[in-house]
Amino acid sequence: MGNINDYKISPRQVADKSSEGSLYDAIRLALDVETDALRLNTQTFNRNRYKAVQKIDDYDALKQRAREIKEESIENLPELVGRITRTIESRGGHVFLANSKAEATDYITKVCSSHRAKLVVKAKSITSEEIELNHALINTGIEVAETDLAEFILQVSKEQPSHIVAPAIHRSRESISELFKRNFETDLPLDTGEELTRFARDILRKKFLSADVGITGANLIAAEEGAILLVESEGNIRFTTQLPAVHIAIAGIEKIIQRKKDFGTFIELLAASGTGQSLTSYTNILEPPIELPVLNLNGRSDEKREFYLVLLDNGRMRMRQDEDLKEALYCIRCSACMNSCANFQAVGGHAFGGECYTGGIGGAWTLGTSGSLEKARFAELCTGCSRCVPNCPVKIDIPGLNTVIKNRLTKAAGGPSMQQRFFGHFAELARLAEAAPGISNRINNLSVSRALMENFAGIDRRRAIPPFAEKTLVEEYRKYRRNGNLMNKNGSLRGIILFADLFTNYNNPEVGMATVRVFDKLGLPITLSKLFDDGRGLLSQGLIVKAEEKARKVAAYLGKLIDEGNDIIVAEPSVLSMFRRDYGRLLTDEGLSKKIAEHSFDPIEYLNGLVINGRLELMSQLKKGLSSRDHVFYHAHCQLKTIGGGNVAPEFFRRTGLTVEVSNVECCGMAGSFGYKKQYFDISKRVGDDLISQINAAFSADENTVVLANGISCREQIGSEISAAVYHPIQFLETLLV
Amino acid sequence: MPNSVERELTVRFLESAKAAGATVETIQKSPQELNAALQKATSGDESILLAEPDYLSPALFDLFLLNKRVVTKPTKEQLSAITTGVTDAFCAVASTGSVCVSVSRNLGSPMSLLTRRHIAVVDAGTIVPRPRDIFSGESAAPDGLKRSFSFITGPSATADMGPLVVGVHSPGKLHIIVLE
Repeated sequence: MGNINDYKISPRQVADKSSEGSLYDAIRLALDVETDALRLNTQTFNRNRYKAVQKIDDYDALKQRAREIKEESIENLPELVGRITRTIESRGGHVFLANSKAEATDYITKVCSSHRAKLVVKAKSITSEEIELNHALINTGIEVAETDLAEFILQVSKEQPSHIVAPAIHRSRESISELFKRNFETDLPLDTGEELTRFARDILRKKFLSADVGITGANLIAAEEGAILLVESEGNIRFTTQLPAVHIAIAGIEKIIQRKKDFGTFIELLAASGTGQSLTSYTNILEPPIELPVLNLNGRSDEKREFYLVLLDNGRMRMRQDEDLKEALYCIRCSACMNSCANFQAVGGHAFGGECYTGGIGGAWTLGTSGSLEKARFAELCTGCSRCVPNCPVKIDIPGLNTVIKNRLTKAAGGPSMQQRFFGHFAELARLAEAAPGISNRINNLSVSRALMENFAGIDRRRAIPPFAEKTLVEEYRKYRRNGNLMNKNGSLRGIILFADLFTNYNNPEVGMATVRVFDKLGLPITLSKLFDDGRGLLSQGLIVKAEEKARKVAAYLGKLIDEGNDIIVAEPSVLSMFRRDYGRLLTDEGLSKKIAEHSFDPIEYLNGLVINGRLELMSQLKKGLSSRDHVFYHAHCQLKTIGGGNVAPEFFRRTGLTVEVSNVECCGMAGSFGYKKQYFDISKRVGDDLISQINAAFSADENTVVLANGISCREQIGSEISAAVYHPIQFLETLLV
Repeated sequence: MPNSVERELTVRFLESAKAAGATVETIQKSPQELNAALQKATSGDESILLAEPDYLSPALFDLFLLNKRVVTKPTKEQLSAITTGVTDAFCAVASTGSVCVSVSRNLGSPMSLLTRRHIAVVDAGTIVPRPRDIFSGESAAPDGLKRSFSFITGPSATADMGPLVVGVHSPGKLHIIVLE
């Protein structure tokens, strides 16, 4: 790790991602000097979040309720703006609807000046970052003291937030210590967390006691009661709202909901989803102007409390009219999407973020509030791994939003790049290559062709191209059945079709064949489907319209098979995830997408279900001598986890008496095509480090550990770093059967 | 005698509050017991801020008020200098160990904010199961939910400087006395 305080590029220089160069520079910066602190801190939040949401006994119902409240609020937004205005004004407060950044900053600076403010204490507010409020206040000659300790650090380091909840999450204690030592002349020790905290606290206590105005954001606003919700841990928001007589709250209009009692739905979700706590130290609900008498500890003689609510539009009403971006308005800014994102864990919000909005949800917000598609370019760092999806407390399809941004960027660029074409049109390439796989593979890995691929399609030459198989799955399957391996029909079961996806067909037919042989051995009739491009590759490149075309064809075919009484087995989890999740969005026929989602299964998941239902007796089919000494290391594919299949293989193999260790990383880092791209090779490798070190630890404990991973790209990522073979779970199961 | 539901909520509350970093004790609801507990908890303090209660009967504090160290109408200097503040809470939450302190005409909120140690007194009968339950209208506080208030859950804390540090701007110590 280099030194963040001396690094050649400052985060501010690369906050605006309008040019590709700034995105790549920001990635370099993050990987060079920020990644260690980022990974430690985001992963801690993420682990704690999993524990905290488990303690909410009706978590799913609560999320659904939160989603409904937000949908209803955005639907009724114009009325809610009117309602909150009347409520606050009837209590003697003031409400200003700012259409733009400039309108908001002009109003706030005027309010501050009208109260003869020299010093403003400010709580953390991403919305205030959006309007660049500090800049405006300072230009008016008003001192601004950021009172959240993370914002205090950033005020010293002149960096923008790297995370919407913990803005200095990219900084280690050591780097903060060094920063303070360079910037403050003091004899006080500035080494431990306690010393740094005490130092900042003493500076800020003086600011609190002399400030003229307090400025906060708002987590939520209730229109009927004119109440605002402010969540914090340090006490700085309580100081900011109670010590100065003048309180200004700045919030996006999307923060308004109908009733104060609905805060109840959000406060547990916010705390658990954000920092992984049951509640943070202070959850403040205020109906300002508050009844607390003016304290005037600042020596002023203010007679009454004044409250100003600044409601910011700045693109939000436009987002509300945008069928896709509207979804982002439901966001409650908890940060679960970034903490559960493997790429964000590695590079944080200075790379995976814009001027103020960060992470998976940050792209839509940057586009919506700045109106600039190019500034939202960092949405490319969303691989579509989907790990944020089940963790979003308001059920936003964040990868879906990022696909839309990629799609619009492609349109704005006049069409797909060579790289997008290469990964999006794998089907066509594979068909060509398969004409002579031996030659194709040799060409693919010749240094001259790798240089060409790198130059024209941006495929990193350090990655091995997955070889095309000598015989495709379709060919292997025909040969197998021709050789007299007939299906062993079991009349009481539904028919079973193995979906011939592109990756299994062209690159990993052995996985498909293992599935066929295992199902045959277990007396489960299975046949192979026709070969189809399911659209995954296109979708991952943001080529939505083409992906929809593919989806419609596949869905018509699968719908018919399901109606005829068949279930669909899908060996490649990224394809299964298309059927279970993405088709819901790509297809207009809801009944059809639901039917496909309900009848498609991972092979192990299907078998496990039969065992649970008592329709398959497994133990008698296993070889003797399996023991808990046999050690399996399993990495669940990111998208398989999201569709609920992540725990199935461990459960299944534990049933057989084996010891199964499970990786705790969200994604392997390859994420389909992402890790092959030259511009993202380093992130991909960095993300992979966590998984690889867990696997190496498993090998140290037992050198005969068997490594299992469902996804073809997971197996590539792991296989590039370890010498042992990596198997699909169905291949491993075949070795256990008699 | 407290009923079994109240008892169970109290037990959960005490566990959650401890997990959130507060210290807790349970006493019988009487001026004598409360005085004894507060005397003990504040034995090292030269002065103590005491807020007019939000919920509890002021009579419960009568004995403690005889103590000359107790300041109920602080000057500006006393408000920013005294390091221990005693308030009641109008409600508490079992699942999180939170106490709810109003932001109102009494000075309970600044007394639990400017000090280094906050002692909160709460009636076991006001404990609700989860945070959202205080909005359900079944909150035991006589005039219902306060207009402005804070759920206070453990002492103030930060992880912004790297490791978790307890005690930032507001109290680093929270002691909760539950009245049964």
